[in-house]
Amino acid sequence: MTATEQQERAARRTARRRSRLPILFGVTGGTIVGLLVFGAVFAPLLAPYDPTERVGRPFLPPSAEHLLGTNDVGQDLLSELIFGARVSLAVGIVAASVALLIGTTVGVIAGYYPKRLGAVMMRGVDVILILPFLPLLIVLAAYLGRSLLNTILVIGILIWAEPARIIRSQVLSLRAREYVLAARSMGAPDRWTILRHIVPRTALLATGSFVRAISNAILLEAALSFLGLGDPIQKSWGSTLFWAQARGAFLTPAWKWWVLPPGLLIMLASLGFALIAFSLEERINPRL
Amino acid sequence: MRQRIDIRRLAQYGVVVVVAVTLNFLLPRLMPGNPLVLIAGVDVGLLSPEQRAEVVARVGLDAPLWKQYLRYWGDIFTGDFGYSFRSGRPIVDMIRDRLPWTLLITGLSLVVSAVAGVILGALSAWRRGTKRDLGMLTGMISIESLPSFWLGMVLISIFAVQWRLLPSFGAVTPASDLVGWALTWDVISHAILPVLTLSILATPGVYMTMRYSMLETLGEDYIRTARAKGAGERRVLFGHVARNTIAPVVTVLAIRLGFAFGGTVIVETVFSYPGLGRLVFEAVSGRDYPVMQAAFLVFTAAVLVANLVADLLYPLIDPRTRAS
Repeated sequence: MTATEQQERAARRTARRRSRLPILFGVTGGTIVGLLVFGAVFAPLLAPYDPTERVGRPFLPPSAEHLLGTNDVGQDLLSELIFGARVSLAVGIVAASVALLIGTTVGVIAGYYPKRLGAVMMRGVDVILILPFLPLLIVLAAYLGRSLLNTILVIGILIWAEPARIIRSQVLSLRAREYVLAARSMGAPDRWTILRHIVPRTALLATGSFVRAISNAILLEAALSFLGLGDPIQKSWGSTLFWAQARGAFLTPAWKWWVLPPGLLIMLASLGFALIAFSLEERINPRL
Repeated sequence: MRQRIDIRRLAQYGVVVVVAVTLNFLLPRLMPGNPLVLIAGVDVGLLSPEQRAEVVARVGLDAPLWKQYLRYWGDIFTGDFGYSFRSGRPIVDMIRDRLPWTLLITGLSLVVSAVAGVILGALSAWRRGTKRDLGMLTGMISIESLPSFWLGMVLISIFAVQWRLLPSFGAVTPASDLVGWALTWDVISHAILPVLTLSILATPGVYMTMRYSMLETLGEDYIRTARAKGAGERRVLFGHVARNTIAPVVTVLAIRLGFAFGGTVIVETVFSYPGLGRLVFEAVSGRDYPVMQAAFLVFTAAVLVANLVADLLYPLIDPRTRAS
């Protein structure tokens, strides 16, 4: 075998690996998300205890009865994590839906009317993207008060700008396609053209943005709960870590069962959705 | 041409400032309940009607809204952010105490993440599609999913508690009266873990930009020309690819700086680091609204300065964007 043949063979191998990557990412992400959703849906069956009941002495280390020990008031940590999946996923999905709704509306309108209206709207989007994101999130959450609905709203109204930008650029190019021009030249009203010809074709892109927004929203919910700005009644992974921090669990051996697991779950959830988003984005616009 | 772009940019930053200040002004006045609690920090229920009228007049809530708004701008221009509800201190002084610490750790982490991100991103793109490239890519995507506060907690548990190598909180050892080198080392050892946390979190953004930007450059005609004329791998990488790749990375770095600045709210809280981010957390948990608002404005200003610096640097680094 000559040197060039070897090189060619290596090049083909790396190309194949690259083309398989989106599928690998998609399957891995899908599996992670599937498992977490399963856990969230069947939480009452899977969790050994009611996470709101005091079922043991406080600060117990892991044992056969309490696989991850107990927290500072004697609630079972494992059950808390299983039920926590419900809050984290629900907030992520609903907040991302809010963001998608605003983002698609703004993106489609700004892309369809690119002249004056679109330009003004995109200036607004730019302003939102420049504002210091996390401090603004915290300020808004602090004023609105601690409830699940407020958490969802605050996250949703702050993460729509990126999807709006992506969808607008797609609409800009769709707008110039023949079938859109044909519809318009036949006198179709704008609303009909947009709903019939434009919006359906942004669906794939919007799905990618949506999944990525879920991934972001899960991290943001965790951060808000950790700062003590989450709903005080709902137990999410972030609030478990808030209490671990407040009780100094990370300064004791308890960090291995009190701090590690919730953080890993947040990471897994966010990563699962991020991987799906990557694989969708690759399909639309191969860049990896 | 260039002039026009600059003015449009500046106008945009101006709009950002107006939006931030207006948000600050409106939020406490729009919230349900009595704005007195949010603006003057007094419990309305405990006051007699006369006292209440006095407080309302003092903070200017009896004036028409537009007058209040103008006054708010006036206060900001004269650097008067009011007083903290909690400590009673002027907020400007509090921010002046805290800002250097935040600048220290964000500045250091910017340098670390820039170096790491650029090197790893370049390696990744140069060996595109190999196992190492895909491994690094997956690793970076995973890091982006890390909750920042959790990463900080785990680092404390490992380095400060388990191995007792580094301190776990604060910026200096309290009441230690250290001077000279001992003090310098004390400050450094306290900064290591927060800087490490911020650096790890900021690296993927730089890495991704570097990798994409470099892959784009690698496809350019002049790279093929360089190869065709027989330039060595090293010559191509450093002389042709790296030089043309760095400009977008600088922009991302500047924008990341603003982003990292905001991220300090969480990281400084975990490490009890006495910077501006920790001040926001203290203000939020103590319902110290004016402090929270002032800190938000400082963060906004920092982001804008970072963006401005990027705008000014860009044409210096990439002559192609200089106006012809």
